[in-house]
Amino acid sequence: MNRNELYNIAETWFKEQGWKPFKFQKDTWTAFLQGKNGLLNAPTGSGKTYALWFPIVLNYIKNHPDYKTNHKKGLKAIWITPLRALSNEIKQSAERITQDLGAQMRVGIRTGDTTAKERSQQKRTMPDLLITTPESLQLLLSSKGYEKVFKDCTAIVVDEWHELLGTKRGVQMELGLSRLKTISKDLRIWGISATIGNLEQGREVLLGPDTKALENSVLIKAKLHKKITVKSIIPKEMETFPWRGHLGLKLLEDVVPIINKSKTTLLFTNTRSQCEIWFQKILEKHPEYAGEFAMHHGSVNKETRLWVEQAIRNESLKAVVCTSSLDLGVDFAPVETVIQIGGPKGVARFLQRAGRSGHSPGKESVIYFLPTHAMELIEASAMQQAVKHEAVEDRIPYLNSFDVLLQYLTTLAVSDGFYPDEIYQEIKQTFCYQGISDVQWQWLLNFLVMGSQSLQSYDEYKKVDVEDDGRFKVNNRGIAMRHRFQIGTIVGDANIVVKYQKGGYIGSIEEFFISKLAQGDVFTFAGRNLEFIRLKGMQAHVKNSTKRTNKIPSWMGGRLSFSAQMSELLRQELYTAELETGQQSIEIQSLAPMFNKQREESMVPKPNEFLIETFKTRDGYHHIFYPFEGRGVHEAMSSMLAYRISLLMPITCSLAYNDYGFELLSDRQIDIQEVLDNNLLTSEFMLSDLQKSLNSNEMARRKFRDIAVISGMVFTGYPNKGIKMKHLQSSSQLLFDVFKDFEADNLLYQQAYTETFEHQLEEGRLRMALERIASQEIVWKKCTKPTPFSFPIITDRLREKLSSEKLADRIKRMTAILMK
Amino acid sequence: MTESIKIHNQNFIMHASGVFFWKERSMLLISDVHLGKVSHFRKFGAAVPQQVVQKNFESMNTAIQYFNPKRIVFMGDLFHSSLNKEWELFEIWTAEQSSSIILVSGNHDIISPLKYEKLGIQVVEELILDNFLLTHHPEERDGFFNFCGHIHPAIKLTGLGRQTVRLPCFYKSPIQLILPAFGEFTGTYTLQAKKDCKVFALLGDAVLPVTLTESKRKGRSAKG
Repeated sequence: MNRNELYNIAETWFKEQGWKPFKFQKDTWTAFLQGKNGLLNAPTGSGKTYALWFPIVLNYIKNHPDYKTNHKKGLKAIWITPLRALSNEIKQSAERITQDLGAQMRVGIRTGDTTAKERSQQKRTMPDLLITTPESLQLLLSSKGYEKVFKDCTAIVVDEWHELLGTKRGVQMELGLSRLKTISKDLRIWGISATIGNLEQGREVLLGPDTKALENSVLIKAKLHKKITVKSIIPKEMETFPWRGHLGLKLLEDVVPIINKSKTTLLFTNTRSQCEIWFQKILEKHPEYAGEFAMHHGSVNKETRLWVEQAIRNESLKAVVCTSSLDLGVDFAPVETVIQIGGPKGVARFLQRAGRSGHSPGKESVIYFLPTHAMELIEASAMQQAVKHEAVEDRIPYLNSFDVLLQYLTTLAVSDGFYPDEIYQEIKQTFCYQGISDVQWQWLLNFLVMGSQSLQSYDEYKKVDVEDDGRFKVNNRGIAMRHRFQIGTIVGDANIVVKYQKGGYIGSIEEFFISKLAQGDVFTFAGRNLEFIRLKGMQAHVKNSTKRTNKIPSWMGGRLSFSAQMSELLRQELYTAELETGQQSIEIQSLAPMFNKQREESMVPKPNEFLIETFKTRDGYHHIFYPFEGRGVHEAMSSMLAYRISLLMPITCSLAYNDYGFELLSDRQIDIQEVLDNNLLTSEFMLSDLQKSLNSNEMARRKFRDIAVISGMVFTGYPNKGIKMKHLQSSSQLLFDVFKDFEADNLLYQQAYTETFEHQLEEGRLRMALERIASQEIVWKKCTKPTPFSFPIITDRLREKLSSEKLADRIKRMTAILMK
Repeated sequence: MTESIKIHNQNFIMHASGVFFWKERSMLLISDVHLGKVSHFRKFGAAVPQQVVQKNFESMNTAIQYFNPKRIVFMGDLFHSSLNKEWELFEIWTAEQSSSIILVSGNHDIISPLKYEKLGIQVVEELILDNFLLTHHPEERDGFFNFCGHIHPAIKLTGLGRQTVRLPCFYKSPIQLILPAFGEFTGTYTLQAKKDCKVFALLGDAVLPVTLTESKRKGRSAKG
């Protein structure tokens, strides 16, 4: 069958549905059928699944013209999704095609939810099209005879590649692909990504730099122009609007008319606890919504979530409070309006959420921005500019993640074993490990086999054996089993299942929240008030309660830093505060009372000014700097500056930062004049100072937590099995300390530092920021009390520490608090 | 390096390494060494640096040289796991000691007492010396002052500027003193200070009595 005949099949099918294929869909079909790899840049709900399922099926038809009568069994394509919740949706669209075209292809799902029975069935005969997650793909690589399974695989599609790119799951994906490239002889690799700042790099990471795969690839952009309108919800009384906070309940009543006006509204919150609170409060104030108002977040049980998703589709819900759990996948045509509560932590995410509304082609998307504190109105104003300019963040890929590589090598050793020379050539082709040295590689092999660099007496280290033919293999069943349980790169607190005492699953909560509860405590979860009865194994038993409570589980969540472009927009917005009202956005206009308060105590900086504020509260001495450069830059700058100050005088600081500025808080006053006289904000020696500052704070220590788990040094117990391997558990903190004292050249220990340095602290932007500051006039305001600008920073509880004092001197000024 | 304390008219010395010396009886108390833990982890594929093993023995030697005690009492959890090769190192170490050695056994001490007795180490459930009761688990018994381990106590100190630090400590109540864990790779459990207790934090090279204060702020009690 030639290509035109194949296209005809596809176009006819589209016509039967009453659709017309988009250009990007046709481009993708062509490229795929030409045997090309590629990256498809298309938003959710644009028909991207049909862009790739189709050529996969067409390709099979091409190679098997008698496909209707004579089916050839075996795996033909893999579809990777980062969220297993999306897999059903993807399966349905694949089945629609295979059934309508009469291809006897079986579509299967393999994720953490797949039952053991299904798994073993799949092992006997793999489905033709497999939908799975990055972790489950690794698990397949850990089973014996995996090479045969993938031999005839013709395509692998990595969906939502932007979600994986800047994470270690992305690295895991790179490694999996490097293996598949060798064992699947006729493989096409495709990624699908929403718009990010570094799309080209995204393609390079997916396919490997300087590889044939990259050479033979395309980048296809679905240019579906969609009008997005951002509307800020402006507080009516600015005078009483809070200077800090993250809940935004103050504007609850302003949300009601928006909900009433539209068919279905999604309210996006940033955390699951915020989601719980909003759900509760809206129902409390507006009981009339009962029955057509729901909540959706990742810890609510699956049935409820599916029910909510279905209810959105049949338009039986007026509004849903949700978290990022509704960011991806799933089309919800009836959603007319989206409300974002609080800063969205990123332009890309904001755009994605905005795109949730007005789904039908040609319709405009409307997103309301609800500020939770005054400063966020500046962000709201900048966000409108950002949407206009598509100032989307980059997703920075990881380099040299030795922890993920060790996990991968162990995975291969657990299945059929591996020959180092062969695998070395493969991994060197990946983006992550393009710079790995022979010495580092040898180090990793030694670490796997001997647990360190030299064989020592009295050692019984056991993990990977080297067989006579040079194959690296795990022969110990216990080690193999523990490793399989631990495959993955998402490290979180252990999750506790929340259940009614009489049975009935409600959801799951992180262990650290449960561990703080005592019997009889009441907490809010999944929209219910629950009384804690007991903890049994990995289950928390609860019963309904009518008591009121303010205990709400919190979940950890990351935060993206603003891109350079977004920070620039933010500064520009702020600078308009000094302009005449006519030249200001309505958000900035509405902030006039706050700006006035700020001027009373301090000032609003102009473009050529760099503001420093100092004041004292009962917490200690606050020193606040405002570069307006985004969180990542501030994190690095505060660490570097604190380190430089600590060279002038022994001092202990705690550091806090947000997108506007950063704070050094100390129990003693820092002489700002001395800081300025010594030119401590210079970009000279920036790198070495930044590096040294990491040794005196805790950032690397925190990074090490994930590294220790991913590399398999810390065993976290069996997930969902309730079995705790107590005798093998240790904290990564303890490990970090012993590495510091005894094995500081350990690559995994060092990785904690390089990761902080390269991934978290944006060196290049820091330099530009310092150079900009050097050209500004520094204005130091000695204030008597906290200013509106400083408020969100000084109330931040998540802090970094840096100290140059002797411990003994420090703790002489400290005390232990007596138990009440 | 040390801090002295008097209990029931007897003199004791707390050492920065976490050992506890009873002057009148020339007796050195060492708690929760957890020998064998590192090897146990390594045996199961977790590559904890092996040098930690040596460090445990070196620290014990340093403390013993400092006090030169007639008797050494291990307050339980001497050996973390079942037998492994660290036991051989322990045998060698024991042979070099001139002091007599007693083990008050703890929950981790699952190695047969016969193995200890072969090395000349007496294994007991508890030890009563005058009105002092030595146990692994904390115990309250009328008429006795209890020395114990098991908890791996630590204390959280706070100061101005939102500073906090956690340090291992000796934790003394009117009827009990809990020793810190001596072993390198052991971890700690943070205790809250109570009104009638005394806390001595270990700084690595010093022992420091901790000042205890009432919580200054309402509704913002120290986090556990």
